[in-house]
This record gives sequence, structure tokens and C-alpha cells, in this order.
Amino acid sequence: MTLLGEFALWISLPFAIWGMVVGFVGGRTQRGDLVLSAERSVYAVFFLHAIAAAGVMAAFLGDRFEYWYVASYSNAELEFFYKVTGLWAGQRGSLLFWALILGFFSSLCVFQNRKKHREFMPYVAAVLQTILLFFIIVLLFAEVNPFERLGFTAVNGRGLNPQLQNYWMVIHPPTLYLGFTAFTIPFAFAIAALLNGRLDARWIQLTRRWILTSWLFLSVGIVFGMRWAYEELGWGGYWFWDPVENASLLPWLTATAFLHSIQIQETRGMLKIWNMSLVLLTFLLTIFATFLTRSGIIESVHSFAEEPKIMITFLSFMAAVFAGCAVLILYRLPQLRTENQIESFVSRESAFLFNNVLLLGAAFSVFFGTMFPLISELITGQEISVGPPFFQRVNFPIGLALLALAGIGPVIAWRRATKKNLQKNFSTPVMVGLVVTAALWISGAHHPLALTTWGISAFVVTVIATEFWKGTKARSRIEGEGYIPALFHLVSRNRRRWGGYIVHVAIVMMFMAFAGAAYNVDERFHVQPGDVVEVDSPMGHTYTLTYEGLSTARQNGLRNLLWQAIATVSVQKDGRSVGVLTTEKRQYTTQDVGSPPMTEVGIRSTFGEDLYLILSAIDDAEAVVMRGDSNAQGIDLQVLVKPLVNWIWLGCLTLVGGTIIALWPSVDRKRAATEPSVEPDAEGARAGAAG
Amino acid sequence: MKKNGRFMVGLVGVATVVTYLIWTGVSETMVYYLTPVELLERVEVDPTFHQVGVKVSGQVIPGTYRRQDGELLHIFEVRDLVDESITFPVEFRDALPDTFTDQVEVVLEGRLREDGVFEANTLLTKCASRYEASQEELAG
Repeated sequence: MTLLGEFALWISLPFAIWGMVVGFVGGRTQRGDLVLSAERSVYAVFFLHAIAAAGVMAAFLGDRFEYWYVASYSNAELEFFYKVTGLWAGQRGSLLFWALILGFFSSLCVFQNRKKHREFMPYVAAVLQTILLFFIIVLLFAEVNPFERLGFTAVNGRGLNPQLQNYWMVIHPPTLYLGFTAFTIPFAFAIAALLNGRLDARWIQLTRRWILTSWLFLSVGIVFGMRWAYEELGWGGYWFWDPVENASLLPWLTATAFLHSIQIQETRGMLKIWNMSLVLLTFLLTIFATFLTRSGIIESVHSFAEEPKIMITFLSFMAAVFAGCAVLILYRLPQLRTENQIESFVSRESAFLFNNVLLLGAAFSVFFGTMFPLISELITGQEISVGPPFFQRVNFPIGLALLALAGIGPVIAWRRATKKNLQKNFSTPVMVGLVVTAALWISGAHHPLALTTWGISAFVVTVIATEFWKGTKARSRIEGEGYIPALFHLVSRNRRRWGGYIVHVAIVMMFMAFAGAAYNVDERFHVQPGDVVEVDSPMGHTYTLTYEGLSTARQNGLRNLLWQAIATVSVQKDGRSVGVLTTEKRQYTTQDVGSPPMTEVGIRSTFGEDLYLILSAIDDAEAVVMRGDSNAQGIDLQVLVKPLVNWIWLGCLTLVGGTIIALWPSVDRKRAATEPSVEPDAEGARAGAAG
Repeated sequence: MKKNGRFMVGLVGVATVVTYLIWTGVSETMVYYLTPVELLERVEVDPTFHQVGVKVSGQVIPGTYRRQDGELLHIFEVRDLVDESITFPVEFRDALPDTFTDQVEVVLEGRLREDGVFEANTLLTKCASRYEASQEELAG
């Protein structure tokens, strides 16, 4: 199976080349047979990559340690689950996995459009095959072939890093990859539009669902990564402005900008060049993110010397794509002229544009900060880096401005907002925002940034709640429906608009949670069994923690474990017992000799705050583990209280819900045939929707 | 056209503010990122550099890690990634990340004290998903 997989990967190379060539030629000459051949080659490449991926999995499941990739990321004792997911545990497998998902999306796209949009499809197929071809070339020729043999068979593999043996870490990378690769489809349509000259909003309408799908997976993928960091890295944070994290944030920022700016093109026929540039930029950033996460260039410039081939391949591909697109955009410049002008400073177009400038500003600052060590070394010969404080300083104000726009954008009028429009829509929300801020101030929350965030959050939620209320009330009156059916019908009549509003609420929930970090509590104690410590939370609760002692009993179901020491802490909240938390140290057999054990944290999560316990260190681990000495049980216990963290995960769920509502196929057209429409201008209403 | 002009002023204003934020952000938060060789050369030329916070990347020397009993103090030695003869001891007073072993490459932030000990405030290790074995290690 593995041999067959390797063979399939090689065979996919000529197929991709063929598809690319006949796609472009077929589109140019309008020859149906060539176009059909190009489209079929997309299916063929996907099929071949599925065999190749199955080959890698077979090698993992069969413990084929003659393969470098298997020997590096698995061992005989590894759980079945992690052997299956070994496909994307490391750089080599994940590049193949990437090609596989891209092949899947490409096939899906070609299949959906097999009978429609024929003016786009030859070029779409050709562009998709070009990108696939790039990944095949990387896999085969850039020294990252997952089928590379060692020349001998290792006795056992090195095993998977224990920190990667976590549920979130298994689903985090594939989710991000789904987001990255799904964005390739809108990119391919954009290029097709540049090639065939259909430069109205058609390509955007055709790919709106792909853009949203990609954005959904990107968002969820980023949050999964945060969740993993929160649970597994053991320092209580979820975001560190690490280059790898930043790399996944960059395409999200530009994709979010794109999601908003395409609405201006759809309604007002403006910003065509801008949208083309954004789709190109986002696509390049998805490639850049893969490159950065899997190459480590930022952590050490020296890695350039270690893996020159993959670096050069990626950089030249990105440069070629950029140059090609720039030439196409310049060539089509006359047709990309705007159809309208912005009429007023105070209008929805203007709100969207400010949103775009801010998002791109944030993206630029993140990119700049991430690349700063490289930039400074190139210019001054001296590597200078900027850390989390830099990203926070720049992005907190930008984030707050964006948050405010999330409330302003949805209700401000298109073209020109009148004073009446502004007063009607904003006086109550502004009041609510001010009242909430004042109330929080009185109750003792004085942190300026957090207070501002919560005040703006209240403003945005009020704006959106009012919109829902007004819509429901109007529909209920006109149709004579109860409020709940009215709300349901309201949303299903214009899913895109209301789904978008729900996503805005989700973003507000996350911002509220981020601001909660201003009130984190971090205390350290040295405790012996029986010791009691007290920690006050910012929400006014008091936690009374009793350290019960260490246990070295082995839990079932954990493999590769040398020993495990579990600290048990009973928790009382405001004098009432709320159960027991455990935090552990684990030493795995796959860890190097002499390396410290891994930490597992204990978390008690509520809507208000999380109690987060870390077993920082055991005084005398040897006595506890080797001799079972019951007198040597002193530990360092770190106690964190993290307000509102849960709202990040709740916000993520809300975001998924809102995006799915926006993605759900519209039933307007089917219904229209059977019942009279209550919204005569349904098309206009949809066009007027905010995202 | 006049309205467009006013609009451009707004956009340029936003862009200026963002640029200003980046500019001040960089100048107030930047730290030199040096190799151990460069750091030792620097303090030799300019002794005041002992007071300056820097970021240093180095390789932990296997077998040198120990923990001060009863305290949250970790002590180990690092060497230059290229020149193995350049080393200095490190003191780190905080919980170590789980990815830390005495084999890894670390990035430290702190300052080199006059007694030659590097006092680290933060410690990062290379990303876990990049752990890969060399041919020799697999053979062993």
C-alpha cells in the first residue's frame, strides 16, 4: 500500500501538468474537449493523492520504521488514533495532507460547476492544477517527501511529542488547512475573471459560499489552537503572538476585510481593484502561513541554511504568483474602473472602508512584527525583535475601533447617512454603552482598556439586539405571527444579513473575554499536604484550596508513561465545597533522558471565571516517584483565576452558528413559486445586508 | 471630488495613526536578538551593556540542568549554536515550559549580569511540532 502511495504521488505530477496546460489552452481556444480533459485531471489528481495519503497512513499503522517520516513521528506503542492522524503530525505529511484537501475542494468545485459557469471553469481548473502542481513539486523535489526511506529500519520510532498527543492538537491543524485551502477556490475564480474578462461581481457571487466556508474554518482553526495552548501548554494563556500563531491570524485578517469589501462591490460596483488585491493577498498569506508554520524560518534564521530547497521553492512560487497577478490586474485595469463614487463620509461604504483599512493595518503590523527580526537583520545586520508588548500596543486600539465598527456598520445607511438615521439608530445604544461603562466603574472595574472594551461591547450588542427586535416586531405585525415564528422567518428570509449580525455578536463575546485578561490573578504557593491557601477572584469570590497530597497511582489508558504524579486539591468557593481538582506531572518514556516531566493542569470552568491550577514543581520528585516516600510531598502550586475565558469558546460556537446561517442555501426562490413574497424587494434587501 | 478628498483625509488619518502605533511600538518594545558570541563581544566592548535587556538564542548543554531546592530557580548552561566553546550559565526564576529539556534550543530574554550569569525573565523553546530526529538518532 505504501509503495502504491508513493507511486501515486509520482503519477499525479504529469496529471497536474496536463491539467494546467489544457485548462489554459482550452479556455483560450474555447475547445470543449480540452476543458473536459482539464476538469477530469482535477479528479484524477485528487484520487491519486488519496492513494498517497492512504499509503502514508498504512506506513504508520504498519509501524514501517524504514520510512523517515514514520520513524520520526510514531513508535510501536503509539495509540491507534495518533497513528492515523500521523498524516498531519509533521511537515512532510501535512504538505501531502494539504494537497489532498485542496484536491478535494477542487474536485468538489469542478463537480458543482460541471454544467454551469462554463466561461470560468477552464481557467479555474487550470489555476487549481497549477497550485496543486506546486505542492507536488515541493513534495517530490524539495527534500520533504513523506515516502523517503532511511536506508535501514529503525528498531522503534521516536514517538510523537507528548504535547501533540492532545485532542485539540489533532483537529487544530486540519481545520486551519481546510480554511487555507478553501480560499484557493475564490482565488482561482478571481484569476479566471481576470483571464476571461468578466470583471463584474459575478466571480464574487459564485464564490461567496467558498469565501464564507474558508473564513469559518480559519476562525475555528485559530480558536482550536488557542484552546490547545490554554489546556496543554500550562501557562494559562491562549495567545502569545508567536510567529506560528501570527501566521494563521494574517490570512484571517485579510479574509475578514475581503468578506466586507466584496459587499461594496456587489451593491455599488466599487473597489474592484481593491478586491482583486485582497483575494490575491489572502491567498499568498495562506501559502505564507503554511510555509512559516512548517519551516521555522522566524525562530531561527539559520533554518534557511538547513532547508534551502523548500525555502527557495516556496519563495519563488509566491513571487511568481504575485508577479503573474500584478501583470493580469494591470492588463485589465481599464475594465476594473469603479462604477460609483463614495458620496459621504458618514455612510455604510465608508464604515466598510474604514473596517478594511483597520484590518489591513492590523495585518500589516502583525506581519511587520513577525518579520521584524529578519527585516532588521537585512537592513542593519543586527537582529532586533519585538515581542508581545509590541503586538498588544498596536492591535488593542485597532481592535477597539473595529469592535465599534461592528456596531456602526450594520445600521448606518448606504450612500449617505442623515442626521435622523444616526439619531434613530445610535442614541439608545450609545446611552446603553455609557451606562454599562459607568456601572462597571462603580462596581470597581477601573482598568481603562477593559472598561472601554466592555462599554463598546454593550453598544454593539444593543445595536444588533435592536435590529432583531425591530425586524421581528414588524414581521409579527404584518404577518400576524407570534414573535418566535416571526423571528425564525425573519432570519430565514435573509440569512446572510442576520447570520452576519450573529457573527458580530460572537466577536463581541470574544472581545469581552480578551478584556477579562486585564483582571487575571496569578499566585504561587509552596504547600505541604493539609495546607490551606486562599485566593480572591476579581469577581468577588474567595477560593479556599486544600492541598490533599500527591498520588503516583497510574491511570489506565495512557501509553508511553514512565510515571505520573497527581496532586489533588479540594476546592471551596465562598465556603461551599465545589469538588476536587487535580494537576499532574507526567514523565513519558519517549522523552529524552534527563528532561523534566510534562505538566497537566487542572481547570474548573464557569461562565464567570476559570480556576486554573498548575503543579509547577515537586520538591523531591525522585523520593515521591521512586521510593513512594509519603513524607516528601511538598509542591509548588500556581493558582490562576482567569475571568471570562469561557466566553471565547462560547463566542466561537456562536460564530459557527452565525456563519452556518449565512451559508445555508436560500429558500427564497423555491418559496417564491408557491407563496407570495412579503418582502417584494428581497433581492435589494439581501444586497443591502451587512456582514 | 471634494467629498472624495475629505474621505481620503479620513483614510490617510487612519493609516497615519496605525503607522504611528507601529513606529512607537517598535521603538519602545524592541530588544536586541543576539547569539551568545555576539552578546559576549558586546559586553566586552561596552560594559554598560550588562544593564541592557537582550534576547539570546542558544543550545542548552545536556547534563547541566538543575533546580535549586525549595525555590523556583532553574540553573543550566547554554552554548552558542555554532561556536561550542562559547558558553554561559543561566538562571531562570519561573515555571519552565514543558517543551524544555536539556537538549533543546532556547530563546532567552533577560540580561547578562556582571558576574557572567545570564538572568532570564522569559524562556521559550523551539516549537514542538518541529521536533524531528536526525538519521543518526533513529539508528541509535
